[in-house]
Amino acid sequence: MKKILFLLVINGLLVSAVCQAKVYIDISSPSSRRLPILIPTFKNTGGELDRENLASKTPQIIADDLDFSGFFKIIDETALNSSTLEGLTSDRIKWDDLAIVGAEAVVTGGFSIQGGVVSFELRAYDAVQGKFLIGKKYEGRREDYRLIAHRFANEVFRSLTGVDGIFETKIAYVKAIGTDKEISLADYDGGNAKQLTNYGSLCLNPAWAPDGKRIAFTSYKDGNPNLYIMDLARGTTRLVSKKKGVNITPDWAPDGERIALTLNLKDGNSEIYVLHERSGSLERMTSDQSTEVSPSWSPDGRHMAIVSDRSGSPQIYVLEVATGRVRRITYDGSYNTNPAWSPKGDRIAYSGMVGGRHQIFITTPDGQIHQQISREGNNEDPTWSPDGRFLAFCSDRSGQKEIYIMRADGSGQKKITYGRGNKSEPAWSPFGSM
Amino acid sequence: MKLYAKLFVILCCAILLAVSGTACSKKQVKQEAPATTVPEESDLNAKEFVEPSEIDPALAKIFKDIYFDFDRYNLKPEAKKTLDSIAEWLKNNASYRVLIEGHCDERGTNEYNLALGERRANSAKTYLIGLGIAEKRISTISYGEEKPQCTEHNESCWSKNRRDHFLLARK
Repeated sequence: MKKILFLLVINGLLVSAVCQAKVYIDISSPSSRRLPILIPTFKNTGGELDRENLASKTPQIIADDLDFSGFFKIIDETALNSSTLEGLTSDRIKWDDLAIVGAEAVVTGGFSIQGGVVSFELRAYDAVQGKFLIGKKYEGRREDYRLIAHRFANEVFRSLTGVDGIFETKIAYVKAIGTDKEISLADYDGGNAKQLTNYGSLCLNPAWAPDGKRIAFTSYKDGNPNLYIMDLARGTTRLVSKKKGVNITPDWAPDGERIALTLNLKDGNSEIYVLHERSGSLERMTSDQSTEVSPSWSPDGRHMAIVSDRSGSPQIYVLEVATGRVRRITYDGSYNTNPAWSPKGDRIAYSGMVGGRHQIFITTPDGQIHQQISREGNNEDPTWSPDGRFLAFCSDRSGQKEIYIMRADGSGQKKITYGRGNKSEPAWSPFGSM
Repeated sequence: MKLYAKLFVILCCAILLAVSGTACSKKQVKQEAPATTVPEESDLNAKEFVEPSEIDPALAKIFKDIYFDFDRYNLKPEAKKTLDSIAEWLKNNASYRVLIEGHCDERGTNEYNLALGERRANSAKTYLIGLGIAEKRISTISYGEEKPQCTEHNESCWSKNRRDHFLLARK
């Protein structure tokens, strides 16, 4: 896959004031107030006509990003006096007007289009003190405006919270095309969706390598559900496991060198194995007459959450990798599957059946507290954002299976996929993915 | 007497320990020593197999789908009858290999269903081996819930999807 983006970033654009490391929003505090921020329409400062309406689309993406984070309240631009923002720089902004609409931060943006290239000049200010926070200049092709918006949203998020935003991360998922299924990839908000595989076959279970450059997946393209690794930078795909039976549900260990997966013994009984990617050697993790499937590593690599039906129904267990010892953590209901260990290590998301429907639950690794965070339709396949603040999942609430994102407390649920064909099995990328 | 008392106390302690020990081991999880069994390489290419009816339309009556209950992979009496006929045909047609596809309904979750489908295919395989069909003539593949026969969202449809489906290939 060739690098699609030409992006020039000039740091510290026109920066005289060095921004202090003041934290405006303490995101570790559970009672964090949403910071009111104004992100008005960008100004076309010259060059060609803005046919794609980048003036509105670009700030809208930044606003959607910050709104979804749950730490910002987007102020309606229409409440504003037209003369409030005469220009992009602090001397052209009427700070008193911003105070009237309640804005505590403001983003200003200007752009110009020359040929195929668009240049953006974006700034963020502390509107209470009239203080410059951050400024960036970006150049890219017109179609790169989404990436540029996400990148600046990350800058704003970082300058106001002190931590990294997830607005440039991606979500891989499975998309049905007729009776086939192919792996697709989109921005975390569903933008720039594209199909990665085109085998005219079943491609399932996508899982990101920790480097964000490779995706492991199962495909039936060679007539058996084998495991493959796709290298996104090189555009190559390599067979890594073709054992008899299934070679499914890969999950990359935090070291990036081992992959946990599910294979069958002779009688169809599935077990968890660990595949050493380089040597191809296999270590067996479970040994039981029952079905074991869907491993998810803890971030320290010492445990895995797995599904086992050894109790007579599928339930979530925590497996200690060094000893093979397992501990059951779900007891309510008779169908608990799809465990996903959070990147911080303190939570495990899973789907559990309630009243005949699957719902997303969050529990602690000791299984002490279980919280249901979805209600509408069937909700399956939770996957964590790399900062552990958000989840993507699959839901049929719209009548067809689509990918949704939400905050980890279940708020802000938002559909991100559209169009024909069921979408399922989302896998949220690490930071810095391709 | 003193000695007996002492022994009694020791005995009591031992019983207590044993009892609490069992109680504990019941609560605690059982330890599994990770074994080293590694599955065999697959030489299956499912694309080589065709619908039995393509070989002979009459075969559709023998190679009927067999059905399972939700989240189960045990063979029902009806399924065994079908497998008896399939075994009979395979014995008389030694140049054919059979592929058993295991399928599930959409009510389960995708990943677990892939594992369950393999179980369902293997239930039929084990039964056929028991009837004397050579293991090397039988292949299995799980499609989980990925290839439903029926796409409506109701039990009558789901029950048709919880199935083993049979395909044939010449050796």
